[in-house]
Formats: sequence, C-alpha cells, structure tokens
Amino acid sequence: MKQHPLCTDTECEDSLDVMNLPVPEKHKQEWATLATRRQFLGRSGKVLGWAALASLLGDYTLPRGAHAANTSDAPKLPAPQDLKLPNFAPKSKRVIYLFMSGGPSQIDLLDYKPNLAAQYNKDIPDSVRGSQQLTGMTAGQARFPIAPPHWTFKRYGKTGTWVSDLLPYTARMVDDLAIIKSTSTDAINHEPAIMLMNTGNMNSGKPCLGSWLSYGLGSMNDNLPRFMVLQTKVNDKENNQPVSSRLWSSGFLSSEHAGVGLRSSGDPVLYLSDPNGVDREVRRKMLDAVERINHQTLAELGDPETNARIAQYEMAYRMQTSVPELTDLSKEPQSTWDLYGPEAKEPGTFAYNCLLARRMAERGVRFTQVYKRGWDMHDNVTGILPMICRETDRGCYALVTDLKRRGLLDDTLVIWAGEFGRTVYSQGGLTPENYGRDHHPRCYTTWMTGGGVRTGITYGETDDYSYNVVKDPVPVRDFNATLLHCLGIDHNKLTYKFQGLDQKLTGTTPASVVSGLLA
Amino acid sequence: MVVKLPIASTDMLPSQTPSKNPTWTLRISSLSIGLALLSLPFLIKLDGRPHADWQQFLGRFHPLAVHLPIGLLLLVPLLEIVGAFRPVLRETAEFVMGVAFACCLVALTLGYLLAYGSGDSGTAVSRHMWGSTVLTISVLVCLLLRPLWSSASIPRTHVAERLYPLSLICVLLVLFWTAHQGGSLARGSNYLTQYMPQPMKRWIAPGTVRSAAQNPDSFYAKHIHPALDGNCVVCHGEGKVMAGLRMDSYELLMKGGKDGAVIVPGHPEKSLLIERVTLPTGHKLFMPAEGRPPLKPEEIAWIKAWIEQGASPTATQLKGVLIREDAKELPPEPVGDYSSLMPEIKQIEAGQGAKLLQVSRKPSDGLILSAVDVASSFGDTQLAQFQKFAPFIVEAELGRTAITDASFETLSRFTHLRALHLEGTSVTGNGLSKLASLRELNYLNLSGTKVTSTSVHSIDTMKSLRHIYLFNTPAQPAPPADALQPIAKKTDDPIAQ
Repeated sequence: MKQHPLCTDTECEDSLDVMNLPVPEKHKQEWATLATRRQFLGRSGKVLGWAALASLLGDYTLPRGAHAANTSDAPKLPAPQDLKLPNFAPKSKRVIYLFMSGGPSQIDLLDYKPNLAAQYNKDIPDSVRGSQQLTGMTAGQARFPIAPPHWTFKRYGKTGTWVSDLLPYTARMVDDLAIIKSTSTDAINHEPAIMLMNTGNMNSGKPCLGSWLSYGLGSMNDNLPRFMVLQTKVNDKENNQPVSSRLWSSGFLSSEHAGVGLRSSGDPVLYLSDPNGVDREVRRKMLDAVERINHQTLAELGDPETNARIAQYEMAYRMQTSVPELTDLSKEPQSTWDLYGPEAKEPGTFAYNCLLARRMAERGVRFTQVYKRGWDMHDNVTGILPMICRETDRGCYALVTDLKRRGLLDDTLVIWAGEFGRTVYSQGGLTPENYGRDHHPRCYTTWMTGGGVRTGITYGETDDYSYNVVKDPVPVRDFNATLLHCLGIDHNKLTYKFQGLDQKLTGTTPASVVSGLLA
Repeated sequence: MVVKLPIASTDMLPSQTPSKNPTWTLRISSLSIGLALLSLPFLIKLDGRPHADWQQFLGRFHPLAVHLPIGLLLLVPLLEIVGAFRPVLRETAEFVMGVAFACCLVALTLGYLLAYGSGDSGTAVSRHMWGSTVLTISVLVCLLLRPLWSSASIPRTHVAERLYPLSLICVLLVLFWTAHQGGSLARGSNYLTQYMPQPMKRWIAPGTVRSAAQNPDSFYAKHIHPALDGNCVVCHGEGKVMAGLRMDSYELLMKGGKDGAVIVPGHPEKSLLIERVTLPTGHKLFMPAEGRPPLKPEEIAWIKAWIEQGASPTATQLKGVLIREDAKELPPEPVGDYSSLMPEIKQIEAGQGAKLLQVSRKPSDGLILSAVDVASSFGDTQLAQFQKFAPFIVEAELGRTAITDASFETLSRFTHLRALHLEGTSVTGNGLSKLASLRELNYLNLSGTKVTSTSVHSIDTMKSLRHIYLFNTPAQPAPPADALQPIAKKTDDPIAQ
C-alpha cells in the first residue's frame, strides 16, 4: 500500500491510504500540495512562540527608527548636539594622523641608548626579556644578540633631544614635538596591533578613531567627508603589510562615518567625475529621484543604513566640486614646494599626502589619516630604513612647519605613530653591516604636536635596552583618551550603545588622560 | 585674664571644703610651675642667635611631640560631652587631661629648645611661644578646677559650676590659635590662603591679596620677589626671621642679616644669596635649608642676572633674559547663554550655509562662526547678517571667504571674539586698527592676504593678541635663522646615497 508522500508516520502502513481511494486524480493532486495536520500543528506552535517572544521584547523587535518612520517622514540619527559634545572647550578641532604601518624601529630613530654600542652581539639579559612571549619569527632563535643602531645620534634643538642621523628633518622640529618613548600595546602582530591603535580593540568590527570623531563632533565642512584617508604609494623594496578598509570602517556606527579614501593615482575618487554627456543638472535630477525611492524604502523598512546611503549620495554629489578643488595644487606658492620638496608634486608620495592633509585641515576635515606602509623590517634594516626615512622625514617636518606658519597648528593635532616598536635584538643573522628587528609591543616611540599638546618634551622612559617602560607608561587606551581630551571630549562620554554595552573608543579597561602630555 | 581668674577662684574655695580640695603642696607646685613657665621667656630671651647643637637636636623633636597634646586636649571636651550619657567616659577625662598637661610641658620645652637653639625669632615665633605658654597654664588651671565641677560633695555654687567649662573652652580657643601660629611657622603664613578662591580670600584675609612692590611691572616684582616669596620667606620673613635676615620686601632684602648684606649689586659672585643657593644640596649651609626643595635653575639664573645688572627695584627688563609671559592663561570670560536663540541660529544656518558651531556643550563657551563650507559666496553682507549673534561668537573662521576690508567694522562689534581667521581673503589691512576694540582677541590669522606691515603695526597696542600669522603676506617678517643645529651638509649626509 502506498503511503501519502508527506506522511511521516511509519506505523500507518496498514492503514488506509487516501491516495488509493476512488477519487478523481485532480483531487489527489490537490491533496498532495496541502499541509498535513502535523505540519499545521508544528508551524502553529512556532508561530505562538515567536508571538510570545515579540511581545516580551516589545519595541526591540522592530528595526531601529522604524517607529519614527511610521510617525514622521524619516528617522534621524543623533546629531552632535544630542550627544552634548564636545564636553568642554577643545584645544584642537581636527586631527592629522600620520600612521607608520609596520612598526617603526624606535631604537634606530628616537629612543637613544648609548650603552648599546658596547654590547654588540652580546645576548640580551634574560631579566630584561622576562617572560615576554615572542613572535613565531624569533621564538625559535637560539640567541638574542643585541644589535646596536647602525646610525649615530646627535642632540638637537633647545631641548637637546637625541635624534638619529636618519631623521635630519624631524631633528629640526624636536622643540615643537611631544615625543612619547613609553607608548605600549598589547598586541604583537600587525593586524591586531593596528586595529588596537585605530579602534581600541584588537578584533575588527569596532569604529575607527576618525569615525568616532565624525560621529561625536560632526562636520565642519559639509562638502567634504569628515574622515579622510590617504594611502602612500607602495615601495616594492619595502616589506609592506596590508592596510585594509577595516582601518577606516565605521564599525557599528552608521556607515556615513566611515573614512573616505583618496586614491594615490588617477582620479582621487573613482567615478566622481560625470561621464561624458551627463551634466550636473541631469545628475541632480537622477539623485533626487533616487532619494525619493530611498525615502520610500526607509519608511517601509526603517533601516538606518538607508539614511546613510542617502547622505552618502549627497556627499558624493558635493564632492564632485569640492574634491577637484582640494586636490588642485596649481595655486600653491613656491614656498610650499621649497618646504615639501619636489616629491610633493607627484600624487601618492608621502610628501604629497602631507600637503593634501594640510589642505584638508584648512578645509575643515575633522580627521585625516595618512598611511605609510613598509616599516616592517625583519631583515636588512640598514638597507631599508634609510630609504623609508628619506621618503617620510621631510614630509612630516614640512607638514608641521607648514601648519605652524599658517597658524593652523594652534588647533590641529598632529600624530606620528606606528602600531608597535621593534626589538633591540637581531632577528636572523647579526653582522656589523646589517641586522633585522622583530615586532616589539612593550615600548615604542610616537610623537604628537598641536593644539593642547605640551610640546618640547620627551615623555616616558624605557630601560637601557629599549625593551621595557620604566617610567610613565602610555598604553594605547591612554594615548587615545589623551587625543580625545585635546578635542574637548571626555573619553568616557563618547559612547554608542551596541550589543548591550555603552561602547567607547578606549574600551572597557579604565583609561586615563595623560596629563603630562597636555599643555 | 584666662590665667588669673581661675587661680584666684581656687584660692577662695579651699576654706569651704579642705578635705576634698587639692592639697596645698599640689597647689603650690602648680603655681610655681605656672610662674616658672611665665617667666621663662623673660629669663632666657630669644636673641635670634643659634646656640648649642644639642638644643637644636632635641628641639627638632618638637614637631613630633607637639601633636600628641593637641589630640589629647581635643579628646577632653569630647569625653565630657559623651560622658553625660556614659559616665565611665567622664571619669577618664581627668586622666586624659593630666597626660595632656605632661605632654604640653614636654612639647613646650622642646619648642623652646628649638627656637633658642636655632636662633629663630620674629613675631610668629613669639606669638607661638606665648600661645603655648598660656595654653599650658590654662590646661593646668583646668586640671585644678575640674574636681570642683565633678565632685558631688562640693556645694555647687553658680560660679564653680561654670568655671570649668568656661576654662575648657578657653583652652580650646588658645589651642586653635597657637596651633595655627605653629603651622604658619612651618609652612609659611600664606599656606592656607595661597590656593583659596579669590572671593573667599578677599573676604577672609583681605591682607593677603597684596601687591609685591611699588612698581608692579618691574623685574623684581614680577620674577625675583615671587621666587624669594615661594622659597625663602617662610624662614626669612615677617613671621620667622632666621639669622636676622628678612626677604619679604626689597628694602629688607638689601639690608641683609647678621652676616651682612646678602646681595652685592653688580657682583653675583660676591653675593651671599647666590653662594648659598648654589652650594651642593647636601651642604650644611645650603639654602633653602631643612630639606626644602632647591630653587629652580631658571630662578637662580634670573636672580644672578638681576644682581649682575644692578639689582634694581624698578628695572623692567634685563639684558639677555627673556621670559615668556604667556605662562598664566586666564580662563576666558564666559559669554552669555545663546540657548534661547537656537531656532534663529538654525534658521540663519539653513539660509546661508555658514555654520554657528557650539564650542562645547556649555553655552558659556560660545559659538564658532564657520564659513568654510560656503567660502566663495560668503562676503561682507553675509557676515553682517551674523551681527545679531555677535556677543556669542568667540571664533570666526572666515578663511578664503570673499570678506574684504569693509568687514573690519562689523568684526569690531564681535566683542567676545578670541580667534579670527582671515587667511587667504582679499583684505589688505585697511581698517585693521578697528579690531583694537576687541579686548579678548588673541589669535589673528592673516596668512596669504595683502596686509602690509604698516597696517599690522596699527594693532601693536592690543595686549591680548598673542598669535598673529602673517605668512605669505607683504608684512611677513624675515624668516628666523635656523636656531637648531644645522643639518649635515650634502657631502657628509649619512643617508645620501
């Protein structure tokens, strides 16, 4: 006897099969498509469960802003006024963050240890290294021979700060910097470390510094994004670690707070220029139509991302005129090129990006991040380090000097930092001519200057091997809290509720503002 | 008064109840202790000269010993009050007071040794000394009066009942006053008032808000006097005059102490002051003494330069000494509350595109007028429309706008303006002097404009103006010579290939 195709009861073999009943075939076909009693009861049970859950959760079942969509035209994201930021009158309005991706060697550049030269090829004392976990790249090494810096250091400026011969331009401006020798991080590999520096968390998915500022402080110029990213052209001779869009992601914040990158060659922003035959008026009409459709979608589904998309379309439209003006360097006076050097005329170089960063500061971009990759020197330090210093040193100096003479350094914060430092001992073979250096999270050197920063100081100290911080440590969360402080923000008050937690840039471990760095 | 009255009353009482009263021996011995204490300052005078080392050695235990009687004496009234409910506590009060008296005697002796041995003198020293003498005697009196008050068998006269509480209150008052004098000796008379909020200071101690010298702009008044005041006057001032030297005014400083003049104008190397503060910190004669922090290097440098150039009380500037004056930044004056104007602010923003950004969540921090978005279309007429909000605007970002010289008139009415950005505009500086009425303006950016040095000089008188940027203008001053060590030349550039 044939069983009903949908029947799952195995004990009904002897029972009557409806399909064998003498009924017309079309009825049998109709029966076959119907739900069985079991399906009906099972589904009804689930529905009741969902209904119960929905009533328990109340409003949380609806997408955020859906209520607003039902009652008013469109949901509104909290404007900066609603956040009540800045918490106090800021010293700086904007940030230029020169990110040295890969981990610059503090020992060869700014953290001078005169005792190292005498200890060439001696093993680093175990007491210094302690129980430090090493990376897979050096953990297997039998010895950890000390590699003294290959370059000499001299004292510069009124402060008499020691600077390596590799940074002749940085040496000129030491009196204008707050050099932090005691920055320390928790991560030992690039991706988590760079995420920690940028988002305050080693795992991706959190908003970046620039996104937090965009969300918290809002815009000073509606024609340009609040958060812009400039990537420096890759030099193939260097060991380039990837820099991904996670580093300017808005995380759980609305995506209009994500960083906008300018390309280093060709059109700064792809498809920004209108295609042939489409003039600005046509573009406007199209955008208006799309916006109406988007508003319909918004009213229907209440997804805040739709709002973000509307805002982004409008931003892109305005950027069609503002970005060409931003990147047009033809009106820069000769003094600019004298300062930044001829390299600055070539799009994509570090000097060019520094110049653009200054122009963005003038035009009210909140947060500009310039990435320079290639600082990851596991071997051939003497070959690569001079090269990368030559690429970046003058740009940094030119940017700070340019901001200073134009009166912008009074309310702009400039930061130079990587994600970690490098080891005093050599990775791989050590010869008098060359050596390598592994990742070192326990201490690294960064600098900052600008509005709110106490300049002309060196903050924090490391031990004789530039291995451990011995005075005034500055963990990443304190670094970021200090940065927010310069912008008038209490790091505990810039929050966004997500996954049941008032999320913030400095994370859940208590952070404190480093008062020694403040003017 | 405090001393005599209770003693007189004890003398009257014994005839009534001889058996319960302190014995004659006790009374005579206490009377003689009191007299001895009172006569001590007259017998051995504080002459301001240091004496035997052993005296100083013992004397320096005075700060240690002095706190015990203070604590015990404060405990006595507490025990008496709480004793009303728990009688057992009241019984202990007499014992505590007895111990307090003994401690008073020890502390007093040590204090006297300290003052005599180290040669301290001055009004605060003698006030402290007299205070503690009176205090010790008052405690003794209290001790003698207490049986009259607590004993049930003595007939309670009106006077006897009140005398003990009254004298106890006197003890407390004398204690507070004396302790304050002692604190002023150790920490300086302005220790309590130094960081007191200004209004409170004026109310409590009008005398402490004083000007340092006749000429408040002189180098002495601005830099030398504060340095001495902060480091030396604790021991060489009105309150305490160590080695006969006072440094709290110019005249007294120049007069010197028992070792002669401490300042020889024109010769810092012969000046005792410089000699003492530049000794190695461990040296016996190093100043400031008693482990106080040494003078800062720049303070020593200023004093040296000041002596070298004649130690004048009136000179306002010294050659070769340039002190940045911007160390003390006064908090800006709060502007009014613009909250009620928010609808109008929103309206004008929507109309023109220029923004009025809030400096912070506090309305008293003011607004920033930002025309960055609409730079090319923002001109004099647009700016004029913002006049209504002028009292609330503390910063105007007008860089690269179409503003012209005509706007100086408008801007001069932005009374709270602190920062003005005019970089890259077509202003020429004609009428710049109108800004002189902006008393809070401290930042003026004229980079990339056509302003001339003559028009810039017209605002030289503005005191508040600290930062003025003239980059890329006809008025640009010659670039400063590279003060830093020259960068290695091309030939020996270590990073040149």
